[in-house]
Amino acid sequence: MKLRKAWISAVALACAVTASAVLAQGSKPGQGAEAKNMNLVGYNDLQARSAYQPVIVEQKGRWIAYIGHHGGVRVNPATGQKENNGTSIVDVTNPKQPKYLFHIPGDLGEGESGGAQMVRICAGKDLPKGDPNKFYMLRVLGDTAHEMWDVTAPERPQLITTIVRGLKSTHKNWWECDTGIAYLVSGPPDWRVRRMTKIYDLSDPAKPVFIRDYGLDGQQPGAAGQAPFELHGPISAGPRKNRVYFGHGNNKFGILQIVDREKLLNGPKEVTRENLLYPQVRRFDFPTNIGAHTVLPLLDMEIEDFKNSKDSKRDFIFVVDESIIDECNEARQMVWILDVTQETKPLGVANWTVPEASGNFCSRGARFGAHASNENLTPIYYRRLVFVSWFNAGVRTLDIRNPFSPKEVAYYIPAINSNTKPDPTCVKRRGAAKCKIAIQTNNVEVDDRGYIYIVDRADTGMHILELVGEARKIANFK
Amino acid sequence: MKLNRVQVAGWVIACVAVVGCQSTGTQGTREHQAHEAEARNMRLVGYNDLQGRTAFETVIVEQNGRWIAYVGHFGGQAVNSLTGQNEANGTSIVDVTDPRRPQYLHHIPTQSAAPMVGGEGSGAQMVKVCAGKDLPKGERGKFYLLRAAGSQAHEMWDVTTPEKPTRIATVVDKLKSTHEQWWECDTGIAYVVSGVPDWQVRRMTQIFDLSDPANPLFIRNFGLVGQQPGAAKPPNPRFRDGHGAFSTGPQGNRLYFGYGNLGDGTLQIVDRQKLLTGPREPTAENLLYPQVALLPIGRWQAVHAVYPLLGMEVAEFARNTRGRVRDFILVMPEAIENECREERQMLFVVDVTNESEPFGVANFQVPEQSGNFCSRGARFGPHSTQTNLTPIYHKRIVFVAWFNAGVRAVDVRDPFNLKEVGFYIPSTTGKTVPSCVKLDGKELCKTAIVTNAVEVDDRGYVYMVDRNNTGMHIVELTGAARELANFSK
Repeated sequence: MKLRKAWISAVALACAVTASAVLAQGSKPGQGAEAKNMNLVGYNDLQARSAYQPVIVEQKGRWIAYIGHHGGVRVNPATGQKENNGTSIVDVTNPKQPKYLFHIPGDLGEGESGGAQMVRICAGKDLPKGDPNKFYMLRVLGDTAHEMWDVTAPERPQLITTIVRGLKSTHKNWWECDTGIAYLVSGPPDWRVRRMTKIYDLSDPAKPVFIRDYGLDGQQPGAAGQAPFELHGPISAGPRKNRVYFGHGNNKFGILQIVDREKLLNGPKEVTRENLLYPQVRRFDFPTNIGAHTVLPLLDMEIEDFKNSKDSKRDFIFVVDESIIDECNEARQMVWILDVTQETKPLGVANWTVPEASGNFCSRGARFGAHASNENLTPIYYRRLVFVSWFNAGVRTLDIRNPFSPKEVAYYIPAINSNTKPDPTCVKRRGAAKCKIAIQTNNVEVDDRGYIYIVDRADTGMHILELVGEARKIANFK
Repeated sequence: MKLNRVQVAGWVIACVAVVGCQSTGTQGTREHQAHEAEARNMRLVGYNDLQGRTAFETVIVEQNGRWIAYVGHFGGQAVNSLTGQNEANGTSIVDVTDPRRPQYLHHIPTQSAAPMVGGEGSGAQMVKVCAGKDLPKGERGKFYLLRAAGSQAHEMWDVTTPEKPTRIATVVDKLKSTHEQWWECDTGIAYVVSGVPDWQVRRMTQIFDLSDPANPLFIRNFGLVGQQPGAAKPPNPRFRDGHGAFSTGPQGNRLYFGYGNLGDGTLQIVDRQKLLTGPREPTAENLLYPQVALLPIGRWQAVHAVYPLLGMEVAEFARNTRGRVRDFILVMPEAIENECREERQMLFVVDVTNESEPFGVANFQVPEQSGNFCSRGARFGPHSTQTNLTPIYHKRIVFVAWFNAGVRAVDVRDPFNLKEVGFYIPSTTGKTVPSCVKLDGKELCKTAIVTNAVEVDDRGYVYMVDRNNTGMHIVELTGAARELANFSK
């Protein structure tokens, strides 16, 4: 079901009026959004599909949002057909009136076992061997494959090739558009963990070239003992910084692995203990109840208060856990900031969480906790603001200009709507009738214009937001 | 020279007023930049000049209805106004029963008047006191003082009559260095930092049973693997110098050791039972046996002092089914260089709930720009906290000595989110010696407070002592900060 414009306006108006209102209890359909220093600009229901990763790119003057979906089946109103959740393609050139362009169906299966949760886009002009007029989309197909699509005409995506298939899992990929190197989270059957990394050269999107399999020592076939926890996803700082940061874990068993990119790509590739360790700069194990779901580098940060000391420039990793259990039946999942200026000795220096009491979030239903940050390092926000998706607490905007002391400056919690569904783990445990319905802001991304896109795991759709007030002044819109 | 109350008031007024306080002479260009006292939610109760001696730390104990402060001094010398004699700095003993009128009772000098070498070569910096009634084999009614004697020895004194201390025993001598001590009054076990000549580090830990203060029993030597005799010689004998231990005693069964000099700081968590009863020969294997965890804190920070906050209920996590009750260690590096000619030093909070995986979770800093501390002269950064876990403050407020930023009162009820609730920076006085840096080959000196250590007594008074001879300030919390403390008992 798509919401009409009038309804959206009503929501926006409600937000403006009750911006700072905090709901005492779990929301019911029709209840208002909650916000501070963030406004709703536009909305699309994404055909009520459970959403994971959004990415937004400019394509020849148009701005296109691609959204990867978790598994499920919904009717595509454009075709009238039931389609497995896959990839939504939405024109957001006018963010006030997003236009749903196309749905590429995904794989059969629920949650993370079906759909096509992950999506990345590169322009052909950026890729070393891309067609300069084309746009390419890398996505997963359920848990089994990674695919390359031509999305130059986003209304008519064309499958170019399947990069790899026969996997037992996939997850959050990274694709360097300037080099074409892609780090594909994959589960080859012979590895000891569900998720590791397959590295490909996708500089020519039509001709994927396999580079190597990679993971933590102990995850590889034939290793002994307890395998280190599975990969969640990497973020590459590219050739200039020569580092790839791999985050492992969700709500526990977190591991940050700092890897020398050059050694990773050009070192010996056979999967042996020695070769896996060769590019590893540091493996940092978190305490058991901390995951390391997203590991966002914040490098070369100038600390204003340190300008009279010797080390005013420092490197940090912004670590985001993933809450995976509803109604706080776990340790709090939150944000941790590591100082990695001396990268062989990472040191946790700061933390941040949404205050639970500020919204009674443990009683609202579904998950309460962190999940992911934006990953587009646009200068509008980079080294200034980080947006963190926080499930039933919506999106939270942190001022990280001094990473020793992150501060919240804005947030937005959408209203639930008639598409919003209860948390599956709750349904399994207590039955749908006894489960509360709450927003589940799953992931967040920003575009190069500064709009903020949040997508919902519980089928509520995509909300396009903007900063206002004091928070907007921190950003760099020049 | 002892200051009476009027004189103290006079100093304060003089400093608050226009001129600023003159400093005594050293060579080089001097920039007089004396400061008046600055405070928030803390106020001065009383003051003693400690005969103008440079002070390292203080402990305050109740002795038969009197409250006595013992202050360990760095090397140097000054005239003892009680005797008229020039004496090498040692231990000051001050009656603080009336904290508004501290009475200087006695100075125990040390043998050598050698000036400070590297700040810590002589004097009697360390001092701990136990009551005989607490020690398993102590004499009831007596009080015992354990102190370092220069860099050579640790000594035991009888301070039952604090005006007339008498030496009981030398615990150990012929050392090449000394540093922090920890003495468990309920068991008598003491962990003293020593320099034993055949160890490959200048400072390690010697453990003694001092339950009978007159008959010290050596238990073992301890340090990090690689520091033991016969280990490969490190390029720098101060690499990972031992700074001292904080013991949680037999009940907690943990010791938290800090290591590091200018950097390479390391926090070591040790099983006390295994340390005391495990194999004692200093082999790599035996040194590792009691070690629970080792956390490197980075190249730029030492671990100078630690303060445990165990079993903390984190209010923010009250509704989470896991991780609500947590254990933390506050880690203090030590600012070493004057005027911030080093990396910024700050307090770190380490979550040790899962103690084999210690994890830094938060920090506390004094914003430099809040007081232009990098240009005031002397060191800017943390050094140590109180060690007395009185229920008035424990798990509520930790006081941190922050050198030229005085003492900072930190609300630690939520260790994930430390907040400053008060501070006190004394005014400099005529006794405050300047601190210098080299600029274009010239020495440039400024006079600033250098709060070296802080301690609290069981009445809740806060004692701060100055490295640059300013003396001892007794302060108390006021306002909203005082309400966080537990004065109810």
